[in-house]
Amino acid sequence: MAATRKPDQAEWDALAARSRSEARRNQSLLIAFLVTVSLPVLLPYFWMFTISVSAKTGGVESIVLWKSSAILVPTIVGIGLVNAFVGDRMRKLYAAAAIVVAAVLAIFISIGDELHLGNYVFLHNSNFVQDLEGRRQATTESQFPSVWLAFGNSLMLASAQTVLVLFVSTLAGYYLSRFQFAGRQAFLQSLLILHAFPAMTLIIPIFLLMYWSGMLDTLTGVLLVVTTLELPFAIFIMKGFFDAVPWDIEMSALADGASRRQAFFMVVLPQVRVGMLAVGVFAFIKGFEEYVFVRTLLFDKQNWVMSLYIFWVSDDIMGVDYGIVAAVAVFYVMPSVMLYLFCQKYLVQMNIGGIKG
Amino acid sequence: MARIELSSVTKSWGDVVAVEPTDLVIDDGELVAILGPSGCGKSTTLFMLAGIYAPSGGELRFDGAVVNEVEARHRNVGIVFQSYALYPHMNVRRNIMFPLKFKGVPAAEARRRAEETARLVQVGELLDRTPAQMSGGQQQRVALARALVKEPQLLLLDEPLSNLDATLRLSMRSEIRRLQRQLGVTTILVTHDQVEATTMADRIVCMSKGRIEQVGSVDDLFLRPKSLFVASFIGAPPINLVDARAEGGRLALPHQAVGTKAGDGDVVIGIRPENVALGAPDREGCLAATVLQVEPMGRETLYVLDSALGRLHALEHGAQRRFRDGDRVGCELPLSAMLLFDRQSGLRIEEPGLAAG
Ligand SMILES: Nc1ncnc2c1ncn2[C@@H]1O[C@H](COP(=O)(O)OP(=O)(O)OP(=O)(O)O)[C@@H](O)[C@H]1O
Ligand SMILES: [Mg+2]
Repeated sequence: MAATRKPDQAEWDALAARSRSEARRNQSLLIAFLVTVSLPVLLPYFWMFTISVSAKTGGVESIVLWKSSAILVPTIVGIGLVNAFVGDRMRKLYAAAAIVVAAVLAIFISIGDELHLGNYVFLHNSNFVQDLEGRRQATTESQFPSVWLAFGNSLMLASAQTVLVLFVSTLAGYYLSRFQFAGRQAFLQSLLILHAFPAMTLIIPIFLLMYWSGMLDTLTGVLLVVTTLELPFAIFIMKGFFDAVPWDIEMSALADGASRRQAFFMVVLPQVRVGMLAVGVFAFIKGFEEYVFVRTLLFDKQNWVMSLYIFWVSDDIMGVDYGIVAAVAVFYVMPSVMLYLFCQKYLVQMNIGGIKG
Repeated sequence: MARIELSSVTKSWGDVVAVEPTDLVIDDGELVAILGPSGCGKSTTLFMLAGIYAPSGGELRFDGAVVNEVEARHRNVGIVFQSYALYPHMNVRRNIMFPLKFKGVPAAEARRRAEETARLVQVGELLDRTPAQMSGGQQQRVALARALVKEPQLLLLDEPLSNLDATLRLSMRSEIRRLQRQLGVTTILVTHDQVEATTMADRIVCMSKGRIEQVGSVDDLFLRPKSLFVASFIGAPPINLVDARAEGGRLALPHQAVGTKAGDGDVVIGIRPENVALGAPDREGCLAATVLQVEPMGRETLYVLDSALGRLHALEHGAQRRFRDGDRVGCELPLSAMLLFDRQSGLRIEEPGLAAG
């Protein structure tokens, strides 16, 4: 048997140095990858925003877009580099802040003259389309409802859907996770099949159903439809979260004097907070961006939601004024973006625990 | 403080019988240990007493009253789960205070009692930590505090000391014992550590495969085991078991002829390692053996021997090693120390009437 020689200190150091440089290389590769894939995603949003604050009636100055992109791309690359090569947390933060400030300054210097808020006119003037087209009609009645009405409708639809989905999926998920009953397996399988089933194919039957039940052209009708379609997956996700909660703590709560319901609320529910947050956020965003069913089931202006509003705005003035369309779009995505920003800290902790039958 | 009675209590899930019909009476204020190998139904028995599982049959009485259908929360039972089952989202203080919530104890009083109990089990400094921030042993003690704080009439401990280091285990053993005496609370301790059972319990219940094999004091179990299972389960290192045959009032052993009152049939002879006396080889009436291995155990020395009766263990007091590997020795197997079992039934033959000659 060959005697294995023990490496000396110099060799250990060489090994350590190699793994250090490998770690750094992997980190740089990862950041390069993230920057590359995030640019195509970020650019359209950035352009949308830029157009909304710079475009004037009649067209978009593409030079503005090029200039702003010429600032955005180096900014993102710069932040990526700082992330990769600055070790200290505080210094990383300062460096990133400096880059952002520099970028904002650069934007103001290069295209500052082009920036204006004129495209956000729709926020206070619901007659903007007629004003734009110069066809002030005799009637004072607006062709568009106020954007705030549509926004309010959207918020209401999304919030109501969130509440309903959370309520049903939490209770159903708990029951499916904890109780053995006839047909449980079949129920679980049908949940998945329902989720895989394309909802579009149901449009005509749903339309008829709404018509017959007198819920056509009501927000309640749409709410029930989109909630129902969202539920199977939400229930499945919640069941997975409940599966990951050990039985023991629930039994322990019972032995400690809690009733079944108290044990559920005081001990089990807090363990699935993250799951509820995820299901809630997704339900809200789904409801806020819903288009197909609102387009099919709602007609009256009073019932418009944001997706219909932006559709009609672009339908009426596209080709004339991209700026306003972009501005409406920016306004439309704000709540979703803000929701993500608030919740992302909790959402990234989420791992869909132990999904099993 | 209750007297607990189980009469023909049984628990099964479909075909799986976890606990066979079991009779057991535990006196008020008594500490009984349930000892048995993994999967023998110890935890299931505890859960039935706690009201977490409903018995499949039989009657469970607390102070004479049948409690089969009384919910867990009304039984006033403190339980420490094998997995501790602390509530992950609560800190130690709130964990310990949890049971008091349901007893209508005012908040200030509950805090005081929680802190007092925490000090009792030496986790007074950890009150603001969450379970995830504690070692297994610390969690176990918090679970103990949570079970004690509500001054239960029955305390159930499912391997409460399994995760403690040797020193802490020793002190917790006497601490639990002291507390139990002081509070006078009827206690059932589940363990598979026989030293724990023998040092702490008034009586020991030895279980195997869902059945109670024997109930008794340490001496009963050690000196007068009812069955082969009890004899082999109790005692470390385990008892030596040798197959033999009784025929015409005689047992044929290779080194000695032995008369017996046992009827004809296959028997098993049991002799504890500490009763095997080693000496010079080739003595009259001694079994010739070779030392295979010497295992120093600190205060004692264990010899593994090869003999005409198969592999035998011998335990000698003292650290001095009188023999070494390969030495030839003579073993004395005193007839008075021999236990005789019926191989068929596994039961001990109570009057074997062994005599030389
Ligand atoms: N919910 C259940 N469904 C079906 N079988 C079960 C269930 N709970 C326990 N069993 C079975 O009952 C038997 C006894 O289990 P139990 O948990 O009481 O064992 P134990 O003595 O506590 O073992 P351990 O020392 O490993 O904790 C085992 O065979 C187990 O597989
Ligand atoms: Mg157990």
